[in-house]
Amino acid sequence: MRRAALLAAAATAYAVAAWMVAPGFYDGFGPPQPYNWTCPPPQAGANSKPLSGHQTIKVLGGVSDANSAFTDDGQVVIGFLPGAFDATGKTVISVDITPLTICPQPRGVRFVTNVYLISADAPLVKPANLVLRYSNLEPDPSDVYYATDPADSWKSIGAAQAAQPFTIDTTTREFGYFAAGYPSASPSPGVVTIGGGQTLPIVVAVLIALVVVAGVPLAIRRRGAQTEDEEQLQDKT
Amino acid sequence: MISALKSAHPARRAVLVGSYVLLVEWSRALIQNEPHMAVAALVLGGAALALVAAGWPAERLGLGTSRLGLRILGGLALGAVLLLPAAVRSAAVPMLPAGLAVAAVAVSIGEELAFRGALYAALDELGGAPLAIVGTTALWTAAHTLSHPPEFLGAVAAAGLLLALWRWACRDLVGPVIGHVIADLAL
Repeated sequence: MRRAALLAAAATAYAVAAWMVAPGFYDGFGPPQPYNWTCPPPQAGANSKPLSGHQTIKVLGGVSDANSAFTDDGQVVIGFLPGAFDATGKTVISVDITPLTICPQPRGVRFVTNVYLISADAPLVKPANLVLRYSNLEPDPSDVYYATDPADSWKSIGAAQAAQPFTIDTTTREFGYFAAGYPSASPSPGVVTIGGGQTLPIVVAVLIALVVVAGVPLAIRRRGAQTEDEEQLQDKT
Repeated sequence: MISALKSAHPARRAVLVGSYVLLVEWSRALIQNEPHMAVAALVLGGAALALVAAGWPAERLGLGTSRLGLRILGGLALGAVLLLPAAVRSAAVPMLPAGLAVAAVAVSIGEELAFRGALYAALDELGGAPLAIVGTTALWTAAHTLSHPPEFLGAVAAAGLLLALWRWACRDLVGPVIGHVIADLAL
């Protein structure tokens, strides 16, 4: 029983440790997701600097056109619906995406992407869809963060279900500084709340029990075989 | 080399096996990052790791066909436990390309034969099960320092501990091999 209990404890410890870093178990076999870093992590190898992007959006009849702005390396895409801007008095609207040349790491937040300044010469009146790409050289981000000044406080603007691997999506009604990351002082959101009536804790318990249940018969049978060997040895002597 | 290892003092054997395994793993991690070298590094690295298990009796490595059904069941369960946090969390997980999948299988088997097979047996001979469990977990974690971001090393260590405890509790390596292969194929 001691062995089974140790196995169960180890399985639980693993589940907790793996939960602390998304995506969980990771053995690095997938090809590294290409990413142009402002501040590359040590394991990144050769690196190209991130690129900026510019888009000119037409205004027809006082309504801005639907369009997307993106960086030339595709690491940031922001999409606008028709009439997304307050286009009063404008015939075109310029949108710029510029990677920051520094890597702020605000307290309580760990960024896993570059920080980008997204600006336009007209304010938004409808939410824009923002997609940030990230690399598998860092843990998966849980949120997109926004600030009006990179030195000021950053706030989470959440994240929607990602349509593509290694991307994080959200919407924004403001321009400013954006980066993807996760709260550094606590596990990523999505953590299962034990006792909250969810199915997942039950699934976790069943799976851990499965490991133990598979291990106990092996251990018992091995112990039985050992005992038989010992008895046979005693009989001989 | 194998006969020299077999005749070596247990302490020397454990040091030699541990050093060899670390050297192979670190070399693999460095070569793997070079362009177009990932598959070759994984396959050759897996083969080089498996080599360290040559000469050991299958029983000492935890291999065998007795109670095979239970061993396989155990492997499936280990795979499920290893993958569960990722399966619960990930919304979009990329498929592993076929070439990399084969390479991932090769290196998973090689790692299990090396860490929970030969290294475990060498450390077990030297200082018993506690040294084997702690030693293989420590070297397994150290072996992944060049291939994994530091944030992942806690999960790597915990996975190593789980697999080593299974190896000890069930005297079985088939389960860890199957569990490790499943987990690597899925991510």
